[in-house]
Parts: sequence; structure tokens; C-alpha cells
Amino acid sequence: MSDLVAGLSPGMILSAAVAAGALGLWLLLPRGQRGRAERVSRWLGAVLGVTALVGLAATGRRLGGLGEEAVFLLVSIVAVVSGAATVVCRSPVYAAIWFALALTGVAGVLLVLGAQFLGVATIVVYAGAILVMFLFVLMLAQPAGLAPYDRVSNEPLLSAVTGAVLLGLLTLAIGRVSAGPPVCCRLPSKAAALSGSEPAELPAAAGDALAADHVARLGAELFGRHLLAVEAAGLLLLVALVGSIAIVSRGTADSAPAGGRAAS
Amino acid sequence: MNPAALLHDALLVGAILFALGLVGILARRNLIVMFLSAELMLQGISVSLVAWSRHHGDWGGQVLVIFVLTVAACEAALALVFVLQAFARTGRLDAAAWQALREANLPRAVDHGLPAVDSLPLTFPRLTPAGVLPETDDELLQREHV
Repeated sequence: MSDLVAGLSPGMILSAAVAAGALGLWLLLPRGQRGRAERVSRWLGAVLGVTALVGLAATGRRLGGLGEEAVFLLVSIVAVVSGAATVVCRSPVYAAIWFALALTGVAGVLLVLGAQFLGVATIVVYAGAILVMFLFVLMLAQPAGLAPYDRVSNEPLLSAVTGAVLLGLLTLAIGRVSAGPPVCCRLPSKAAALSGSEPAELPAAAGDALAADHVARLGAELFGRHLLAVEAAGLLLLVALVGSIAIVSRGTADSAPAGGRAAS
Repeated sequence: MNPAALLHDALLVGAILFALGLVGILARRNLIVMFLSAELMLQGISVSLVAWSRHHGDWGGQVLVIFVLTVAACEAALALVFVLQAFARTGRLDAAAWQALREANLPRAVDHGLPAVDSLPLTFPRLTPAGVLPETDDELLQREHV
């Protein structure tokens, strides 16, 4: 396997993986097919998707230790596979459940990256969002079977190709960026600090993200340097709250007299 | 842990999540699934931002992700209100129910080869025959379920 991968050029692996991903997504997306055709295209799409995932993982770099690599691989595969399942699931209920699993994977990736507060906050914040989503699905979804619009897609082939082209370009750019020296050297990077090419003089506010008092430092940064932005975010939340209540109440006030007139 | 490799792999995961969310929001027609796809794109962005934050050893990316969470909460509130209103007006969670808002030169999207309702066979409980067969209201049974 490894000499086969080594024999191919990275560009070939990447384009093959991206093409397999596009084809797999096209097969997996709902296209109005039923019964046997649907099962066959689902299995084919899953196989192609796993192929694409293996190809993309082959373009990744080795992280170092086996344990770290295993943990990162596990959480990222959970995130990516359940993200794909969110997109291709017919039923919105299953899509919401898969999205919750994708969030768990993303939180794991954030924890591996050293963002402890954000890893936990993602789960806490989005647990409520998922609950609301569930309530909406239960309120609005069709009780009997899937709706016709859940079984078809808008231009599935074009959408999958768009996503694949975007992913290929992003992967190329990522490989180029992370191979070279850091683009922005305003703050000394960890790599540069370790290699000693640059004096490791971190400002007191911008401490190491892996420090023990992680949350305290993040809070100091948030409420120190970004205090104005926090206020603006609070204002944004207030405006969104007021706006959504206004839209809901105006909608019902508009529709109630109209219904009354129609009845009378 | 190799920092450059960690950055590369995390950015790759973020890019994959973003591309998947893009495909979902382009292809799917259920408004709730489209909303979930938008959230998936935001998750990809968050992973990329935290990866850069880790790479540069500063807090900017993580602070930005906190604001992304805030804006996502606002977006969720407004989007769900709009979904609720759209459902109240059309009885469907279908994005194509609003295709009257499209540009004048674009063709109308038509579903091919789909029956109007999911043609699951209607099953009734087996009861001892008694009296006359009740009349079933065909229109009521065949109506699209809301």
C-alpha cells in the first residue's frame, strides 16, 4: 500500500481522491431513485466516499507519535463521515442526529488542537441548537414517509463537482502554505520558537495556547483586547432576538385576519 | 507533535467539512437540512481558525471562533423564524416552493419521475366485517400530508 502510494505523484492521488469524492457524493445524494437502484447507488457511493477519504488522508502529513496520530485520525474521520452523512441523509431527523455526531468529532479536533474551551463550548452551545432543530423537525416534518423534496436534489452532479473542485483547490493551497515558512511572522510561531531561528518573545497577553490556565488567558484576551467586539456581539444578539420575535409576531398578526376573512 | 503537520491536517479537515457543507446547501431542498449544512460550513471554518491560532501561538483565531459561535446563534434564531414562516405559508419545508422569487430568465425547476405523494400502501386494521363498507374520502387519503 505504501509503495503504491509512493509510486504515485501527490497531484494524481489528490485529483483521483477528489474525483472519487465527487462521484460518491453524487451517488449518495437523493436523486429520486427508489428500491434496488437506491440501495446500489448508496453502497457504491459509500465505497467511493471511503476511497476519497483514504486518498485525502494519504495527502496528510504524519503528526509524529502513533497515539496522537490515532486520536486525530479518529476524531477527524468521525467529523468528516458524519458531516457527509448529514448532507446526504434523506430524513431531516437523521440529518440532525448525524450533525450532532459531526459536532462531537469537530469538538475532538478542537481539543487535539489545544482549544479546550472551544471544544467544550461547541458541544454545549450546539447541543441546544440540535435540540431546537429536533423540535422543529418534530413539529414540521411529515409524519408519513419522506416528503418528495427530501428525495430529490437540486443539480446533484453540479453541486458535487463544485464541492470537489473547491476541495481540490483548498487542498493544493493548504499544501503550499503549510510547506513554506509561516505567512505571517508578526507573532513568533511555535515552530520558529522551537527551532530557535527567532527569539521566543511572546507578549504576555498572547500566551501559549497550551498553557495550563487556558480558559483564564482566553478570557483575559477576549475581555481585554476584544472588549469592544464583545459589546458589539452582545448588541448583535439583542438585535437578532428582537428581530426574530418581531418577524414571528408580525407573521401571525398578518395571517390571522387573512384567515378570518377567508373563513367569513 | 509536528506543528506544521498538525496545521496541515487540521486545515484539511476544515476544508473537507466546508466543501461538504457547500454541497449540502447547494443540493438539498429541505430548509432544515440546508440550515444544518450552513452550520457544517461554520464548523469547518472554526477548525481552520483554531488550527491557525495554534500554529501562530496566539489567541486571535480562538477569539474569532467565539464570535463565530455568537453569530451562528443569531443566524440560527433568524433562520428558524424564517423557516417557520415559510412553512406556515406553504405547508412545506421545500426551498423550491419559493422559486417564484427566481430571476425572470431562469427556467422553472420541475421534479421528474416523482409521484406527488409517497405511495406507501395504506394499511388498515383487520376487523370483523360488520355493517356496510364505510365510504373512504379518496381526496383526503391522497392529499399530501402536512
